[in-house]
Amino acid sequence: MNKKFFERFDITLFLSVIALITIGIFAIFSATQSSPANMDYYLKQMSFALIGLVMVVVVSYIPPRYISSLTYYAYGLALVMLVLVLLFGKTINGNKSWFYVGGFGIQPSEFAKVATVLAIANFFYKGEEDNPKIKFLDILKSLSFVLVPAVLIKLENDTGTTLVILSFIIPMFFWAGVSPFLLYAVVTPVFAVVLAFIDINYFIVYVIVVAVSLFFFKRHWIPSVSILLLNIVAGLSEKILFSKLQGYQQNRIKAVFDPTSDPLGSGYNVIQSKVAIGSGGLWGKGFMQGSQTQLRFIPEQWTDFIFCVIGEEFGLFGAFVVIFLFLIIIYRLLNNAYYSRNRFLSIACVGFASLFFFHMFINMGMTIGIAPVIGIPLPFVSHGVSSLLSFLLMIGIAMNTYRHKDIFL
Amino acid sequence: MNRDYKLYIIFAVIFLAAISIGARLVQLQIVEQKEYGSASDKNSIKKITESPARGLMLDRMGKVVVDNRPSYTLTITPFQFNKNLTEEIAALVGIEADDLRSELSKAKGTNRFNPVKIKRDLDFKTVAFIEENRDRLRGVSYQVESLRSYPVKYRASHIFGYNSEISEKQLSESTENFYRQGDLVGTTGLEKYYEKQLRGEKGSKLISVDVNGKEVGAYNEGKNDIKSVNGSDLHTSLDSDLQEYAEKLLGKRRGAIIAVDPRTGEILCMVSKPDFDLNVFSGTPDTKEIAKLFNDVDKPVFNRVTQTRYPPGSTWKMMMALAGLGSGKITTTSTISCGGSYTFGNRTYEDHGSYGSIGISRALEVSSNVFFYKMGVMLGIKDYHDYSEMFGFGNRTGIDLPSETRGLLPSEDYFNKVYGVNKWGQGLMVSLGIGQGELGVSPVQMVGYVSAICMNGQYNVPHIVRETYNSTTDLKTLVELKNHKIDFPQKYFDVVKKGMYLVVNGSGTAKNVKNSEYVLSGKTGTAQTTKGNNHSWFVGFAPYDEPKIAICVLGENAGWGAQFAAPIAAAIMVRFLSGNTVDAYNENAGTEARD
Repeated sequence: MNKKFFERFDITLFLSVIALITIGIFAIFSATQSSPANMDYYLKQMSFALIGLVMVVVVSYIPPRYISSLTYYAYGLALVMLVLVLLFGKTINGNKSWFYVGGFGIQPSEFAKVATVLAIANFFYKGEEDNPKIKFLDILKSLSFVLVPAVLIKLENDTGTTLVILSFIIPMFFWAGVSPFLLYAVVTPVFAVVLAFIDINYFIVYVIVVAVSLFFFKRHWIPSVSILLLNIVAGLSEKILFSKLQGYQQNRIKAVFDPTSDPLGSGYNVIQSKVAIGSGGLWGKGFMQGSQTQLRFIPEQWTDFIFCVIGEEFGLFGAFVVIFLFLIIIYRLLNNAYYSRNRFLSIACVGFASLFFFHMFINMGMTIGIAPVIGIPLPFVSHGVSSLLSFLLMIGIAMNTYRHKDIFL
Repeated sequence: MNRDYKLYIIFAVIFLAAISIGARLVQLQIVEQKEYGSASDKNSIKKITESPARGLMLDRMGKVVVDNRPSYTLTITPFQFNKNLTEEIAALVGIEADDLRSELSKAKGTNRFNPVKIKRDLDFKTVAFIEENRDRLRGVSYQVESLRSYPVKYRASHIFGYNSEISEKQLSESTENFYRQGDLVGTTGLEKYYEKQLRGEKGSKLISVDVNGKEVGAYNEGKNDIKSVNGSDLHTSLDSDLQEYAEKLLGKRRGAIIAVDPRTGEILCMVSKPDFDLNVFSGTPDTKEIAKLFNDVDKPVFNRVTQTRYPPGSTWKMMMALAGLGSGKITTTSTISCGGSYTFGNRTYEDHGSYGSIGISRALEVSSNVFFYKMGVMLGIKDYHDYSEMFGFGNRTGIDLPSETRGLLPSEDYFNKVYGVNKWGQGLMVSLGIGQGELGVSPVQMVGYVSAICMNGQYNVPHIVRETYNSTTDLKTLVELKNHKIDFPQKYFDVVKKGMYLVVNGSGTAKNVKNSEYVLSGKTGTAQTTKGNNHSWFVGFAPYDEPKIAICVLGENAGWGAQFAAPIAAAIMVRFLSGNTVDAYNENAGTEARD
């Protein structure tokens, strides 16, 4: 292989992904050996990783204009699958988000994430200019791209993935060139809702901060006041809606933000997971030696709580290696977005980077008790065929971006 | 804003998030490591599996016939166990150190964290020793387990069956995630057939334990515990008195007895001899004795009632009469001329008497061979097979015991396969007509067949368990009966039953066992075998008008049907009908009446 090959092949990204998958397979192996029904999961993960890596290479060679022209079809197909899974899917752990084909579970929502990112990127692709004039109407249109799958996935009762699908919209708007003022108008009401939920006093302080900051945008008074009112209405309506919920529904929402309020449900997992990670120390207890992991304190640890296997058995060192690999991957995605002259792929890469970031931050955060417990996997590390393949598909497109960084479309 | 600024802002956000995760990890794993480390060590939670008590078995009077007794089982948790103690522990419980090592090495992966059962039935002194030396003997513990005991005066080895430790093969093939190394699992008899009902559901307890494996207390006040559900008791239809009586009568002979209530199909007694002592398999299995049982040429572990097939001999003749009637080859009033022999092709088949022109009942009474030689040939293989199949031959009856034989019921396909197409002739039908030749039936099939006859075609498959009862859930489940109906006119059965009546109460082959109190009826059979003396058969039912018991007795190589089987069958029927009071058995009642 010569130097020229690496100019077009993002070897750093590729190797980081392989390293992460390898660590994941070791963690899955360790977590499943005490559960006879799941003992072969590492093999399943390994074989699909191999298939997926071949796919990454293949995808990286597809001319970008084909990807662009296929985008809306892929998006349409994803929506159809989401509807079908609602009608005919299988319910696992309370989420009706699975198809069962030949012994393998397939989760259409995992693939819908990729399709949605591509659809939005394609929508904002309007020539080569980096900061085109984006109107308010465009924002509403592009929002609908997100809201349709978000609602369908929410109907599957899969709150985690719904939040995921909402997570990349702001960064993508930002990268696509939506003006800071418009973004501000979209983002602030969301924070208003969250703060109003946590404490009404925070909310009051927050409204004052918004009012002051609006002043600095120096816009016309009509949009400025509208945004302020939007914030106030959003925050108050949250309070009213929440009070209308049944007690158990309120508790369930509270438990997402404060696990200790539900010590037998999600709180149990977080408490055990913190003990697992904390007891791992600097170097960990060693592969297959973690008592918390091997004694199966955390149910289905090979999926969403895989990070605490790493924390317990490989310690702070292992956890930092994993974080470091994630940062490299995110860095490479952003780097490819930055250098790409193809606006479509550039925006898509930012969407993918946000997805990786959101997954990593929320997943790790919940195992160490600083993020709400929503069931989303740790990319490449958690066991799960659909998640593995959909994240690899993103890597494939990011490698494609790198290869074709000099081509407009 | 150009891309540079955007990138900086994004990097800033990611940097802050990464720092917050990193800082939190440092807090948990470095600053608070001691706290969490001791939380995981000292206060680590152990999941203890609670084994439910295995379901009991009761006889028809509700008396417990298979019971549990508590016993202590030595367990070792390999992960905690100090290997230097291997010799000491092996000596303590009296096993070879190498056996202990190999047992422990079987527990791989996560099983190292679970206690492995090493030896059952510890004495109290050993338990006390373990308790006193807990700190030194890390990982060594004991569990209370229940073992089988049999508070009865008979054996019923083949009915109850035994449990044994689950094999590695069974363990790897089980998909249920229920069994663990060292668990007992039903291996034969009812123990095996009703394994799922008997075993119950395991529970689990989360217990806080310290570094030495010492239990500190229930975790989270036991709120996460799952209660075990005891196994369901089997309420059987077994008549303990009759079982004891039947086992005594068969004595040291090889053979089989099965008696049912033909109205319900409930099995009253079932004996297969030689049998064995089930206690050999309970507790610490007596490996020497077990090896002896499995190597015995008389195969005592084998259930002769359900797992062996024999030629039925003359007891088959009712079947032929019914097949002849059903297929329209003869009528209830037909007669067939029965000289002293029958010639088919160039071979002559003998009979033990010359009876002139006789009808079905008379043919059964005297057990004419010629009548049924001719019947076999008249039927031909197709009708022969099809009508016999209607009465349950050639198929498993569906009795609630494992590994039942289908027996052997020949068909055209069978002969084509064995001899080749067109390479066999009707001559085969001659011996088949009198229940000889390539025909094999099991005693349980025979008792089903007698039930069918005495209940005029409508009967239930023989079964032992009436209902299961779970003491934890207070749930009663009736065992579903497998019903059969053979749609024949009543007169078909009448003429056959008449014949069976005359066998005992006329001038038939079993007239010597006629009883003054109860009207017994039946049919003797003497089956020729390639090895040794003939097999002695008797099938019958009583009372004649309102049958309450149907029976099949088989004595391997015991001579004529009237000689060995008939007196035993008669005695058991009388015993049952008299409410287990009369002992009508007369060893000398046997005759050499030819059938």
